Amino acid sequence: MTGDIQDTLWDVIVIGAGMGGGIVGRRLAEMGLSVLFVEKGPNGHRAERQGLNPDMADPVARQLRGYWPGPMRATINGRASEFFGPLGAGVGGSSVFYAATLERPERHDLEATEDRPHPTGGWPVGFDAMRPWYARAEALLHVCGEADPLSPEPPADLAKPPPLSAGDSALMTSLTRAGLHPYRLHSAIRYLEGCHDCLGVKCPRPCKMDGRSAGVEPALATGRARLLDNCTVKRLCGAPGRISHIEVTRRGEAFDLRARRFVLAAGAFGSPRLLLASHAAHWPEGCANESGLVGRNLMFHLNEMLALWPPRAAHAPGPGKAISLRDLYHRDGQRFGTVQAMGIDAGYGEIVHFLNGMFDRSALRHIRPLRHLTRIPALIAARLMGQAKVFVGLMEDLGYPENRVTWDENAPEALDFTYHLHGELLTRRRAFRRAISKALRGHRRLFLTHQPELNFGHPCGTLRFGTDPKTSVLNADCRAHGLDNLYVSDASFMPSSMGVNPSLTIAANALRVAEAIGTSLPKDAAE
Amino acid sequence: MNDRIKSGIAVVTGAGGGLGRALVLELAARGMRVVALGRRRDGIEETAAMAPEGRVEVLQVDVADAGAVREGLSQIADEVPITLLINNAAVYPRRDFLDETPDSFMDTVAINLGGMVNCSHAALEGMVEAGFGRIMNVSTFADIAPLPASSGYAVSKGAARILTRAMIADLADRFPDIVINDWMPGMLATRMGVAHGLDPAQSAKWGATLALWHDPVLTGTVFEQNREILPPRGIKGRVKDALLLRRRRPRMISG
Repeated sequence: MTGDIQDTLWDVIVIGAGMGGGIVGRRLAEMGLSVLFVEKGPNGHRAERQGLNPDMADPVARQLRGYWPGPMRATINGRASEFFGPLGAGVGGSSVFYAATLERPERHDLEATEDRPHPTGGWPVGFDAMRPWYARAEALLHVCGEADPLSPEPPADLAKPPPLSAGDSALMTSLTRAGLHPYRLHSAIRYLEGCHDCLGVKCPRPCKMDGRSAGVEPALATGRARLLDNCTVKRLCGAPGRISHIEVTRRGEAFDLRARRFVLAAGAFGSPRLLLASHAAHWPEGCANESGLVGRNLMFHLNEMLALWPPRAAHAPGPGKAISLRDLYHRDGQRFGTVQAMGIDAGYGEIVHFLNGMFDRSALRHIRPLRHLTRIPALIAARLMGQAKVFVGLMEDLGYPENRVTWDENAPEALDFTYHLHGELLTRRRAFRRAISKALRGHRRLFLTHQPELNFGHPCGTLRFGTDPKTSVLNADCRAHGLDNLYVSDASFMPSSMGVNPSLTIAANALRVAEAIGTSLPKDAAE
Repeated sequence: MNDRIKSGIAVVTGAGGGLGRALVLELAARGMRVVALGRRRDGIEETAAMAPEGRVEVLQVDVADAGAVREGLSQIADEVPITLLINNAAVYPRRDFLDETPDSFMDTVAINLGGMVNCSHAALEGMVEAGFGRIMNVSTFADIAPLPASSGYAVSKGAARILTRAMIADLADRFPDIVINDWMPGMLATRMGVAHGLDPAQSAKWGATLALWHDPVLTGTVFEQNREILPPRGIKGRVKDALLLRRRRPRMISG
């Protein structure tokens, strides 16, 4: 069945068919190149609607739902834990499970500005150079929303969002009255007729735009792209300077696949893991790892979740995830991030859940029967205040070399990482919480997170790009230093985690990488 | 929601008589196109002849024959999507366990459990593509306290109830609009039932309403005649319910 695929010398093999891989592959196929997507997970049924389920533990059941099959094995502040992370492995990757928030970062996220120094000195590609790629990604992903009134940058050309629900509308007014600047969140949901508002779940139609609907599917429609799903890449092989082929297994069969160019888009965990797994005599520390930085500088966001009650209990239909604000994005010289609706209405059950989570971390946790008592305050809260809107403040994380993804060849399905919550992060987090509290004064609100919550769905930074091969893994085109034909188009490339959701930046950068590959290929053909 | 079910075709197994026939006729009377599936041609043709002209097609298939079921249902689905499957076919041989041969026992399992596997599996092919469908399994409490001379029936029908739950474990999160549940028609005055039982035509009214009721919250529910059987609740659950002033009310099938 895969014989012709194995016999082909592909223009480009894309490893991983998520947001970064899907978009880069689509663009390359549209440019006329032959593209093979190699995806660890399944293509799945198009009508599926499941969300991520951290309680589902069976690796077969996980894999066929498009979840990463194995657990995350974390060592956080020296303490080991094992859990199932919010990461996908299937066509569309994690993006099929995302809430489709696609927002541009701020200028200071990518470069040092006059009063806002950048933690790494700045990305090798600045904000103005990225802007046209953001615009193209927004068009490709049908992003709707309204401009952030606080932004000094030229506004993006976005589709008109659907009307707000009565509750959100009232909340918008009261936030504005409090001197804040809420705006319509930028969303890649097209709200086609009969839209299920697929926040956090697979969308059965090309309505939510993600790595599958805006990437892999249009790529396959060109007729120049093919997909090998359920196919695990074992290692990249080649000689110094060049990748010649990849070793893969699919349904118990091992074989090689060959291409002129390779794009690694297996995610901020998958991509560095694969490079580390590809160690060879000429790559003793792993492929593309002369800097020793492969897997390092792992960043997440910190999530601060809070329930916010609209001024009056209004219940009417409308898009779930509709409001965003950047008043606290950068405050008093501190790098915080965006505050946005999560698209969750918190009723009684959710509040119980959060309070139970708090309880489980409290000193009373060993007295189990007490746990049921959290239902009482939650019930009272729900009765008195009705449905709350859950908001999240995303706070930027900074890269530290000791925060890293590692690779254990005895546990190839496990996602291993080590992470330390630095004092700087914790101090900044407290300031962020204070700033949120202060900004929302006059609103009924309740913080739902108490311990620092890392957002394991937003990993990045593990193959940072830069200009110096000693301090970065990739060059400005996201080509691996020292290798002619290996590119990266997932969240690994980011040297800093920004104060917004990473997906739009992944997509924009993937378009930029496709362009770099496209311009390099004709030269190659003449060889 | 029933409109979308009615845009496709229903398949009722064991349609050559008894409850299966009554279900076919009731669905047809409500405007549904129906395939009357059965082992004996004369039985299903008689059923079809009783229905309004053109509403009912027949498919002569032994549900225990996986290949024939697959082929038969895929031919139907080529023309009209199968939106509803009622797994009704069953046999109830009265036989002492000592009088069973391992083969005769497994023959019962092949029809009562295997038939449900075969038909569900074949019907799901299209339902999964569409992300939409309804499967209602006709079921009994025969597994709870097996009667004498009923081992094959009790075991296979008990396993069939587990199959309902197992299919739900695999499908419900991925395809919430494929609604799957069990329906216990009760003791009927049919060949398989008891003489003083309920008129299958009355029972079929409830069965048809439940089968055409397409609501994801029904997945995993069990109905007996026209009333939902609520899952048992432990003492802790009952205390919780009392604390939350929550009263569990069984759903009822209207009409």
